[in-house]
This record gives sequence, structure tokens and C-alpha cells, in this order.
Amino acid sequence: MAILITQQTKVLVQGITGKEGSKVALQMKNYGTRVLAGVTPGKGGQEVHGVPVYNTIAEALENHPGINTSFVAVPNFAAFGAIEEAIKAKIPLINVLTEHIPIQDTAKAIALAKQTVRIVGPSSIGIISPGIGKVGSIGGDDPRGVFSKGSVGVISKSGGMASEVSWILTKNGIGQSTVVGIGGDILVGSTFADLMEEFEKDPQTEAVVLFGEIGGTYEEEAAELIKSGGFTKPVVAFISGLFAETLPQGTKLGHAGAIIYGEKGSYKSKIKAFEEAGVKIAKTPDEIPGLLNNQVSK
Amino acid sequence: MLLYEFEGKILFKNCGINVPESQFITAHEELDSSPSTALRVRMTDGVVLKAQTLSGKRAQSGGIIKVDSQQAVSTSLKELFGKTINGEKVEKVLVEEIVEYEKEYYLSFSYDTSTRGPIMTFGEGGTGVEEKRAQSYPVDILKGFETPQDFPKELVDVANKLWQVFTKYDCELAEINPLVIGKASTSLSQYSLSESSSRSDAKVYALDAKVILDDDADFRREVKFPERNLFGRPPTEAEIEARKIDEGDHRGTAGSVYWDLDGDIAVIAAGGGGSIVNMDALLAYGGRPANYTEHSGNPPREKLKKLTKIVLSKPGLKGCWFVGGTANFTDIYETLMGFVEGLREIKPKPIYPIVIRRGGPRDKEAFEMLKEVGKKEGFDFHIYGRETPMTSTAKIMVDLAYGK
Repeated sequence: MAILITQQTKVLVQGITGKEGSKVALQMKNYGTRVLAGVTPGKGGQEVHGVPVYNTIAEALENHPGINTSFVAVPNFAAFGAIEEAIKAKIPLINVLTEHIPIQDTAKAIALAKQTVRIVGPSSIGIISPGIGKVGSIGGDDPRGVFSKGSVGVISKSGGMASEVSWILTKNGIGQSTVVGIGGDILVGSTFADLMEEFEKDPQTEAVVLFGEIGGTYEEEAAELIKSGGFTKPVVAFISGLFAETLPQGTKLGHAGAIIYGEKGSYKSKIKAFEEAGVKIAKTPDEIPGLLNNQVSK
Repeated sequence: MLLYEFEGKILFKNCGINVPESQFITAHEELDSSPSTALRVRMTDGVVLKAQTLSGKRAQSGGIIKVDSQQAVSTSLKELFGKTINGEKVEKVLVEEIVEYEKEYYLSFSYDTSTRGPIMTFGEGGTGVEEKRAQSYPVDILKGFETPQDFPKELVDVANKLWQVFTKYDCELAEINPLVIGKASTSLSQYSLSESSSRSDAKVYALDAKVILDDDADFRREVKFPERNLFGRPPTEAEIEARKIDEGDHRGTAGSVYWDLDGDIAVIAAGGGGSIVNMDALLAYGGRPANYTEHSGNPPREKLKKLTKIVLSKPGLKGCWFVGGTANFTDIYETLMGFVEGLREIKPKPIYPIVIRRGGPRDKEAFEMLKEVGKKEGFDFHIYGRETPMTSTAKIMVDLAYGK
């Protein structure tokens, strides 16, 4: 069954006439995802890869009431407006590719979305349910070589590592149910814990792999969810960022969220939380298949 | 971007928060008796000289000196300008009047990953605030800040103004520590601070300011501050050059994040997540990185060429590691072609081992090209594709570079 992206997924692309928007629209179509419409204010009436473009979401929904997922690929200064429009139109799943959105705008979008719609991102590489469909640029033009259908859910802060981890699994004969790039920003619409709750309900998913990084509390929250019994399937986690901890605190590199002040969000704190929750820790990404073995059907 | 105290206080003043009367002095200025260069801060209760550095531990490092005479000001200024605090040379000093107070508080606004929104943190102030009692209150960003019920009345106004600083200037952190209520004798009634300063809370002062700006909101912030380097040293030439690569060209990123480090293995890493994973591995195997840099989002060939030239022009390199995971959409042929074009321009020609590990669109074509270039032009390439674990090439790099 997979999560988020299913046979019923019908996609709207916000910013479809832009470079990223049009490229990803084509990729999604090529992978068999139904892309019903696009939106770019002022460009209504055009077509992009055979997909009709509208000026507003309201117009798009009028013509394509089946839309249930929006993919947002607009520049950062326009992102809040675009996400707000999608939230107000009650599109249940909004995947935000846009990077460098001001944190204040992300906080507002998350507050607006609360309990009504799900945001995945910002800075999300996308979501793929192998063999079913994808939203976003995950897997690029040809996800088939890297992703394979199976029983392991993957949640990753890093887009590149979402693919790398999936490829390592595929190479070892372990397929994926759904792979989600949640983005590496400080504030994200969907956290590890949010998505683990979805994976818990999904019969196709037998185990979950988490790719975490230093900074923030999302890994610790995932550990809490497991400890409280909210997630009962096996979990393997990898945490990156030891290198960053050798630099002066506050140094910016990698993802915006990978920044620590004091002890909060440190590598040690995350490893400890996961170990206490019984999560297996991979020291390199290549240890992940070994740690999953015998726990999932191949 | 982390601001200096004096910069943070400019934002505070803009929103009507009281700060002590002050004078800003840079290292090349000298105080004397002529009106333009004289000390203008009143000496009634003495003044405090505060080194303007980005490190938070100024007081413990002797960066804050209290003096009570004009002469002592000059001597102490000289002392401060000769100092290095946590690796950062003191080049600016803020001279401030001393404000007498009875109690100090901590007040800040920041973003919290557990509430996924802003929080206000309030408690006892002073140094070592982490160990003291402080409590956090979530703020509804859609409604704006509302003071919690048990919040001290005399601080409501300053809290509202700090919230204004936090939102108006797109901060990640706006912190006052200590925030004090001054004794009556130090009221500033006879001195005007700034036009916008409100008199209603004239007794409440922000004695220090720590502000971190959200770089992603630079495009809409009215106030601009000069670039700085968080390592507490001025940026190196390579860092300045690397950051220029992305200027005015939004096709992917290369060089926007670039730090010179002390080691001897040049690193060109891909992806904000994968780059850190690989740096972790390099350190774990005993590698000494000469730099940190990342590129992502399918940057064009020219960007990689420029970045490669910067990374490899360091003297004393023992190896070069071009590393990345299995890319989603970055054109591997283009990026590696850019790498080769940059490599060809390095003088003297690099003879050290070059380890390449990459996967993604057009990787097979890229590897064919590399094999050919390596053979014809005599580069010591060691090429690995997606079937070789990314982090295992860290060990290969270390062994080759250090002749193990």
C-alpha cells in the first residue's frame, strides 16, 4: 500500500513554468505519476509537457477536482504565498522542494497547516513509492535503477542520502515501501515521528530506516515515539555530523538544521536516545542492510 | 549570521529597546582631548570597555574591563586591542556607561524544533544561564507574541519590543542577557538615546545583545551587515573567491559553503547531507581535510571548474577526494568534466592520488571520460562508482595519501 504516494495520487505542480517545476513535472509523468495541472500566476492557458497551466489553485481545482497532492517548486521569496494558497485550498499533501525559505515563513506555513493538511519539506527531495509513483525530484529522470518496491520505509533529512540509502538497500535485495525526503531545514512540515506513525499503519512496511543529522530534536522525538509504543516495527538509524562537531559551534555547513548550540541536538544525545529506544545504529550507511537482515522479507 | 553586540544593539534601538549610552571605537582610532575623538560616554559611575568579538565567553577571557578614570580608559583600550579572544583579534571596542541594577534576567526569542515554531525563553540572567532556571513558552506565530500570565509587568514592554526585533529583522535568535532593571540613580533622563527610544520603560536596559540573523531572509531585510567568518578570523582569500562562484548564478550551488581547514587532503564533496557523512568518514580513518566544501543541485560545469581551481591551489596537498552519493538529478558527466577542466589548470600539475567516488545521471559516460583523461594526461585517478560504498573510499583516500 505504501504511504503518502499511492495509486490515487493526483498531482498539481505550483511553479510548473519554472525550470525546476517543468523538469520535475516531466520526471513524475515519466514515472507514471498522474500530473493533472500546474499553476503559475499570469501564465494560465499555457501547457507544459501536455499539462494545463492555471493562474490560481482555485481554477485548477475547478477543472481537476481530483487533485490531492501539490508539489511546490517556486522561488523562496514566493514560497509562503504558494504554500498558503495550497493550504487554504485544503490540498491534503503539500511537498515543498523550495530551498532557503525564511524560517519565519516556514513557521507560519506549519502553523497554518496544523491538523488540516500535511506538508513535507521545505528543501525536500520528494517522496517515492517505488513502482507506484513519485512526487518531487527524488530519483531524477530514472528512479528505476536505484529504488525498488519492497517492505522498508526510508525517512531522510538529506535528499542525496535518501537515494544513496535506497540504492544500498536495493543492491542488497531489500526493496522500499516509500522513501521520504523530509528536508534538512531547522523547521520541517513532517518529522521522523510524524511519518513513522504513517508507516506504523502501513501493512506493506515491515521496518523503517532513518537518516538523521545533528541539530534539532526530531531524532530524539522519534526515539520517544518508539519508547512510548507508538511505533513497533524495527528501526535502523544513521546519524551524520560528527565532523561538524569538530568545528566551532554555530558554523554553517551542510543543511540549515544541522547546527548545534550547547549539548542540544548533538551526535551523542541522538545516539543515546536511539540506543535507549532499542534502535540499531549503523556506523556507515553500508551497515544498514546487515542490521535489517532477518527482520524484513526480501 | 551571528551579529556583534554593537550590531545587535542597533536593531534593539531601532525597535525602542533601551541600551546603555555607548561609544564605538575601532583599533585604528585613538582617544584624545580633541572634540571629535574624545570619550563622550559620561564617567559618573565609571565605564565598561567591551571587546566586540563573536565568541560568547568574552568576560572569562578578559574581554570586558571596568574602569573609572579617563586615563584608565586609554590604557585599557590599548590592552584590549592587543588581545586575541578565542582566536579572534580584538579590532572593535564598545565603551558603555555602567548601569547599576539589582537583578538580571535572561530573555530571548528563538525557534524550537519540538514546537516547530517560535518560543520565548525567560529566566534568571547572567553568565552560565544554561544552568540557571529559565522557562520556555511557545509563541503562536499567527497571533503574535502574548506575554504569559506570570510574566513580570515591568518587562512586558521590552518583551514586546524584542518580539518586534525578532520578526521584523527575520532573526533565528534575539537574546538579551542580561536584561536589567536599573536603579533610579542611573536613569538616563538627561541623555537622549535615540529618537525612537520610548521613555515608558526607561529603567529597563539590554546590557548585552546576541542576535543571529536568518540568512535565508537576507533578500528582504532592510538593514545589511558586513559578512563575517564564524571561525573568528577574517575569511581567507580562497573562502572569498569560492563564495563568489554562486553570485548571480542560481543554477545549483558550488562554493557558497567553503571553509579552509588545516589538513592536506583536498575535498570536493557533493550534497549537503552526503558531504557531512563523508567528512565524518574521512576523520574516522585519520584523514586531515584541507578544506570543507559542498556542491549540489546540478551546478553547471563552469562552477565546478572554478571550485576545483580554488580547492587544488593550496600548497602541500597529499591527495584529492571528489566524493558524493548516488545523485538524484545532478549531471555527473558535467560536474566531473568541470572538475577535469579545473584540474588541468593547476600548476604544478598534481601528481598526488585523486580518488573519485560518484553515482547518478550520466555517471558511466563520466567514468569513461575520466579513464581516458587519466591515461592520456597522466593523472593518478582512482575511480569508483555507485557499487563501491561511498564512505569506504575515505579509507582508500587516506591510505593512498599517507602511503599506508
